[in-house]
Amino acid sequence: MSVVIGGPAPYVYVCTRMRVRKSKLLPREEYLRMLNMSLPQITRLIEEMEYKKEIDELASSFDGIDLVEEALSWNLAKEFQAILAITPGILKQFTKSYLRRWDIQNVLTIIRGKKQGMSAGKIKEVVVPAGSLDVLFLDRMIAEESAERSIEMLKNLPLYSVIEREYSGAVETGSFGRLENELYRQFYADLIEEARSGLKGGNQFLKSIQLDIDIRNIKTIFRLRGQPVSGEETADVWIPGASFSVDELKRISQVETIDELVDTLRKKVKSPALVDALEGLREEKPIHEVENSLTRAQLDYMDRLSKRNPFSIYPILVYLEKKKYEVTNLRALARGKQANLPAERIENYLVI
Amino acid sequence: MVDLGVATLTLEMVAESQMGLKALGAGLAVGLTGIGAGVAEMGIGSAAVGATAENKDIFGLALLLTVIPETIVIFGLVVSLLILF
Repeated sequence: MSVVIGGPAPYVYVCTRMRVRKSKLLPREEYLRMLNMSLPQITRLIEEMEYKKEIDELASSFDGIDLVEEALSWNLAKEFQAILAITPGILKQFTKSYLRRWDIQNVLTIIRGKKQGMSAGKIKEVVVPAGSLDVLFLDRMIAEESAERSIEMLKNLPLYSVIEREYSGAVETGSFGRLENELYRQFYADLIEEARSGLKGGNQFLKSIQLDIDIRNIKTIFRLRGQPVSGEETADVWIPGASFSVDELKRISQVETIDELVDTLRKKVKSPALVDALEGLREEKPIHEVENSLTRAQLDYMDRLSKRNPFSIYPILVYLEKKKYEVTNLRALARGKQANLPAERIENYLVI
Repeated sequence: MVDLGVATLTLEMVAESQMGLKALGAGLAVGLTGIGAGVAEMGIGSAAVGATAENKDIFGLALLLTVIPETIVIFGLVVSLLILF
């Protein structure tokens, strides 16, 4: 276990860097301006920002929308790895664990791609090496002949036990949904365990994980609304460990009216930002708007926490999340523009 | 046998020991404020380096903010000079 020597200075250093980087992210006005631009204009604007290097590097192999998308995910991956390199001690350990969600995403992408017979090049394009598995490892995984051989490569990782247990079932049913749910459940359980292991700053880490879990569960509740599924069928989609237990979530997901649902959720949720967001959900809205407002509430709350605890894990996590949403937003913008969607419609999908 | 229990202080010795204590006080005034400034600058300095690493334009401002706790040492220096002279 690495502990920082030299007092609080490394924490101050890295947290300040994160705050400066956060302030460099695109403001709301910029997105609104971009909504009125065409795709080439957007590409040019992105090139003038932080993504210049990636666009230049990739310009020879991709063009148009693919170039934007590739540059965005490359930049994200590089940025996250760079952050990991400058964070000290325990913060590094926490950040590393937090970034493991990208491993799950990448591994699942590779397994799914392989099972569907996608070409190696195509899989490589959608993989975002932002987690602990680096580009070389992922490339080797992609180059393996079969999905089974790729999975063999993961043997020493915490992911492996879950994949090994669930993989045969997933192949039989032809759906990796259950495997994905189990991986995320395991991921969050590991994070909670790590945060509770008595490390300094673990409480703050725990709080942000629990917020994340709550938001995820609430999003799932809203997604399941109006769909005729029984409580038993959805048993494995809930993530335990935060404000709600699995049984509670099963019960809440069966609630019929939206008012009742919001009331039940409000009783349990503590943070004021979330309560406000829930109040705004009393009327029926399309699911992406619900998810957006919940995500915004989560980001706002984490932002507030990072100001209250300036030298903790929060500034790093807030930046990681906000950067992720900036990339998602730019991608949505570019894709929307390419599909000639009206600006208002694209705006609804942006987390700003 | 010499009686060690009784020592007589001459006027000179009193003056010298007064001077010695003054020097000690002056030293402490500079030394302790120096440590204080160092502790204060630790946080500011690392934040300044962090901010400068991200945005080189603010180097001047960051440097200025970093040396603000130096004023404590100047107070210490002034006090020590007042003590000595």
